[in-house]
Amino acid sequence: MTTENVTLGADLHGGGPADEQPRHMSQGTFAMLLFLGSEAMLFASFFTAYFMVRFNVANNVWPPIDPVTGKKYVLPVAVTGVNTLFLVSSSFTLWWGEHRLQKTGDRKSLERGLLVTIFLGLTFLVIQFNEYWHLGFSPRDQAFGSTFYSLTGLHGLHVIVGLTLLTICYVRSRRRHEFTAERATVLWASSLYWHFVDVVWVILFCLVYLL
Amino acid sequence: MATHAPTHAHTDHGPGHHVEPKPLGYWWKRAFVATVVGVVLALGVTWFVRWAWGFHPLWNAGVYWTMIFIFAGIGFIIGIGCFDWWWDYLRGRRVGFEDHSMHGATSWKDYLRPNTDHKVIGIQYTVLTFIAFVIGGLYAEGVRAQLAQPGEQFVNGQTYNGLFSMHATIMIFGFVIPVFSGLANYVLPLMIGAKDMAFPRLNALSFWLLVVAVALLVFAPAFGVFTSGWTAYPPLALQGTTGTTMFEIAIQFAGASTIATALNFMVTIVTMRAPGMTVWRMPLLVWANATTSALVVFGTPFIAGSQIMSLTDRVMGTNFFNAANGGDVLMYQHVFWFYSHPAVYIMMLPGFGIVSEVIATFSRKPIFGYRAIAFSTVAIAILGFGVWAHHMFVSGMASWIRIPMMMTTVLIAVPTGIKIFSWLGTMWGGKIHLKTPMLFAMGFLVTFTIGGLSGIYLGTLTTDIATHSTYFIVAHIHYVFFGGSVMTIFAGTYYWFPKMTGRMYNETLGKWHFWLTFVGMNLTFFPMHWLGTQGMPRRVADYAPRFANVNLFISIASLLMVAGTIVFFYNMIYSWAKGAKAPWNPWRGRTLEWMVSSPPSLFNFDLTPQVVGGPYQYGIPGARHAVVFAGPELGGGELTETDKRLVLIVADQAVASPALIDDIRRRNAEGYWRFTYVVPSTVDDHRAAERRLQTALAVLSESGIDANGTVIDAPPMQVIDKVMREENVHEIILTTFPLGSSAWLDQDLVDRVRKATGIGVTHVTILPSEARATVASESVARVVIIANYGIDDVGLAALIQKRADEQPMSAIVLCPLSLEGPSTTPETDAVRAEASGRTATLIARLQEAGIQTRGEIIDGSVTDAIKVARTAHHANTVLLATRPGDRIEITEDITAAAGQMNLEQVTTNGQTSTPSGASEGR
Repeated sequence: MTTENVTLGADLHGGGPADEQPRHMSQGTFAMLLFLGSEAMLFASFFTAYFMVRFNVANNVWPPIDPVTGKKYVLPVAVTGVNTLFLVSSSFTLWWGEHRLQKTGDRKSLERGLLVTIFLGLTFLVIQFNEYWHLGFSPRDQAFGSTFYSLTGLHGLHVIVGLTLLTICYVRSRRRHEFTAERATVLWASSLYWHFVDVVWVILFCLVYLL
Repeated sequence: MATHAPTHAHTDHGPGHHVEPKPLGYWWKRAFVATVVGVVLALGVTWFVRWAWGFHPLWNAGVYWTMIFIFAGIGFIIGIGCFDWWWDYLRGRRVGFEDHSMHGATSWKDYLRPNTDHKVIGIQYTVLTFIAFVIGGLYAEGVRAQLAQPGEQFVNGQTYNGLFSMHATIMIFGFVIPVFSGLANYVLPLMIGAKDMAFPRLNALSFWLLVVAVALLVFAPAFGVFTSGWTAYPPLALQGTTGTTMFEIAIQFAGASTIATALNFMVTIVTMRAPGMTVWRMPLLVWANATTSALVVFGTPFIAGSQIMSLTDRVMGTNFFNAANGGDVLMYQHVFWFYSHPAVYIMMLPGFGIVSEVIATFSRKPIFGYRAIAFSTVAIAILGFGVWAHHMFVSGMASWIRIPMMMTTVLIAVPTGIKIFSWLGTMWGGKIHLKTPMLFAMGFLVTFTIGGLSGIYLGTLTTDIATHSTYFIVAHIHYVFFGGSVMTIFAGTYYWFPKMTGRMYNETLGKWHFWLTFVGMNLTFFPMHWLGTQGMPRRVADYAPRFANVNLFISIASLLMVAGTIVFFYNMIYSWAKGAKAPWNPWRGRTLEWMVSSPPSLFNFDLTPQVVGGPYQYGIPGARHAVVFAGPELGGGELTETDKRLVLIVADQAVASPALIDDIRRRNAEGYWRFTYVVPSTVDDHRAAERRLQTALAVLSESGIDANGTVIDAPPMQVIDKVMREENVHEIILTTFPLGSSAWLDQDLVDRVRKATGIGVTHVTILPSEARATVASESVARVVIIANYGIDDVGLAALIQKRADEQPMSAIVLCPLSLEGPSTTPETDAVRAEASGRTATLIARLQEAGIQTRGEIIDGSVTDAIKVARTAHHANTVLLATRPGDRIEITEDITAAAGQMNLEQVTTNGQTSTPSGASEGR
């Protein structure tokens, strides 16, 4: 991440470009970290909406009362809690695959790890989709519905993007035998993204479902 | 249209490197097809989802339009080819990470397709954004036409709202924000010594995202006027039309574009700086862009979020801002301004960077307070995230936020003031060159300071509440956006125009542009302060009749800016096509982009440059920013510019003195200098001056020093004056004999030259004995003259002068005396004195004739003298001079002693005349 201080006179006549020197972090990983900062701010803007609606307007009467039925809206905390476990465990399976690659250079384990992760991510998506189907309120129902669907929907989109990235990694590993312990920027960046999606979900689950 | 020099020194080919480039039509046909496919897909997907979910009605124009714009935009980008490489990658194809098949431009057509070369992208950005500038400007003139008189002139109120909304939106999102990305795209990698950006393909994608955004903005009026101002506050924006949808989607594309560019800049700056470029050696433009990139990366998602919410509220019926269903209408303003206040710094900080470059270069002084400017940039960025609610003082938000926001707002004036005073400090005592970029930078200082001061008024709560909805705001925003950002954009465009296009712009037209813009801008926007304090509301098509005169004045004054802009575009287009070829470094800048050709070669630097010092060390002798090397094809070694700084050397008899030549060598080692000798002479000794000059130039050219010179038959002051008129001289070296033996010093020449030229004069004193000493150099023949009787013959001197005309030479006169018996008797002393006198006569004659000469008496035979000539003087040629009738017999001893040297016998004419003697040195 830092540029090496090359003393005057060293490498005067055409040493390699600066990026051939050892660095702690590859350019791609650094870019992904910055991008995740940007993504975090995108979620922050929707969380801002959520909190302002919840505390400024609704005075924390939350979930608010459905004007049609006269009852409070209900969120399926238990099912989603289980679903959260799926997603969190997917981070660990991904970590296992990467760990195997890094320690032993075992690409087969990486592929297995990726497959299980993708499977868990898909499971999460399906359960979340099923939840949408059965919630009984839509994005048009009160600001509550709007903020709930926008936050979870935005996260769902990120899960889809994360799954795409992991699938690309799987394809590259299978078909091109890419990724070694030393050189796997695309893999590290994708897994960073996936962990980010997980962390955001844990925060989202706590703030939207539990709080 | 600029093309780039052919590439070299690139061996890392990936697959696809040698693929025949596809014609332009291929990409655009694909783009068209993909756009149509996107539209069809959008219709199909939307219909299917609505049908599957059971939405009623199945046909909702707003939703379909939204999806069409998103899908068509993405389709266009895929079709034009931005994702081709990634498509291969994600399918698991073999791809080359160093795939340069889309890199560089050889014709104008290469500018109209995705291109991964940062220089091409920089020009693409700049051209596109200036087109947007024209469109936005036309909207502004529409506004002024409407406001020229009270009442409805040309358009109704609704259309008028559309005019100013489009003006602001296009100017902000289509011009000011991306044009800085464009300029930085071109120069930033050059400035840090990188061959390209960190992610060239992402860079190309950024540009084409912007194309979609600008297209959506420009065509939005065709789909219904977008009338809610660039801030698009709900609930007003919720009543919008399809045009508003296009605005909201354009923001998403533009936002994605700027975030991608900012990531790219950030990674490039952090990881790709040339060796030796520590953060404190980065040019301030790099600092500014690094900071701006951080603002973009962390700020832009908020406007994306706000526009998504606004869009879904309008077309999908969500309730973010609908108070009736628990929404919070003020929340929009919080989220929007949390980006859009930092956005004003996104629109200003790169301008600060440009101004730092321009002012330092054209003041010829190190920038004042480098670290202060760098830190204040960062401070502005950090503070910028904590002031957003000062836009909302009258919105009815929680009142406790007001005072803290007011304080942080006023606090921002401190780092901004640090910058202003640093720039003033840079100019203070500098040698200011009033070129067009500098004019714009200085104009910026004036107008931006006015805008900054009215910003402090508006930052204070009470003033803001009074003037918030008036023209005072309009005056303020235009003083900071036009007087701030746009002035710096023009400064930067002129400054780097030679580098980007390889051609010089027309300086006279540039100055016309500046004065028209500067005067027009102040006449247009300054009266608005008064209008505001008098209570003329902004964003209204009609106004009270008492404002009529001032408004008419403003509308007419705005035409001055139109005239200036026409001059600008004429200058840019004409100069780009027909302008004079630009040198590498027209401004004598120190940063790395000026050390390569204009425009730079395909990969900028053949070998990684080495940074050895700060970027702004103007006027510090010997200070250098970086060393740039040429590739092996160009012979390697340090890359030099064609436009070196010129040093004028004024000398008379000391022209070829070893002491002066050593001094020049030292000076040359400091950096990009070239040298011109001028030798003031009289008709009498013109030939002698020529001979000295030839010797000096031969020695210098052998040392690889770029030098030339002339002998001019005129007094020194006239000579200097003549050269100063013709050439851009940066420094003068004036060589004289010491005080007392110098006629020039008696005339007080050094001070007179200083006063007359106003540039630096270095006075070098050379002793007369040094002035005429022989020089040791391969390219100067060393001729030894061995003679005894006849050595003072006129014919011998004439003969040697003739030789000196053929080739620069140093002469060594040796007078062998073969005395027998005791070495010191009165007789021998007399003989020696006589010989010494004869030798001195010849030496004096030769020196008079402009030949560097020395001599000695040798106790020994001719053979001994020849040995001395070879061993002590490394002579090339030995002349054995005898009087007519005498001949030295060439014995074997002599030829053996001569070795490789040429041995010649010459005969003098035998006539001595009174030597004129060495003239008094000047």
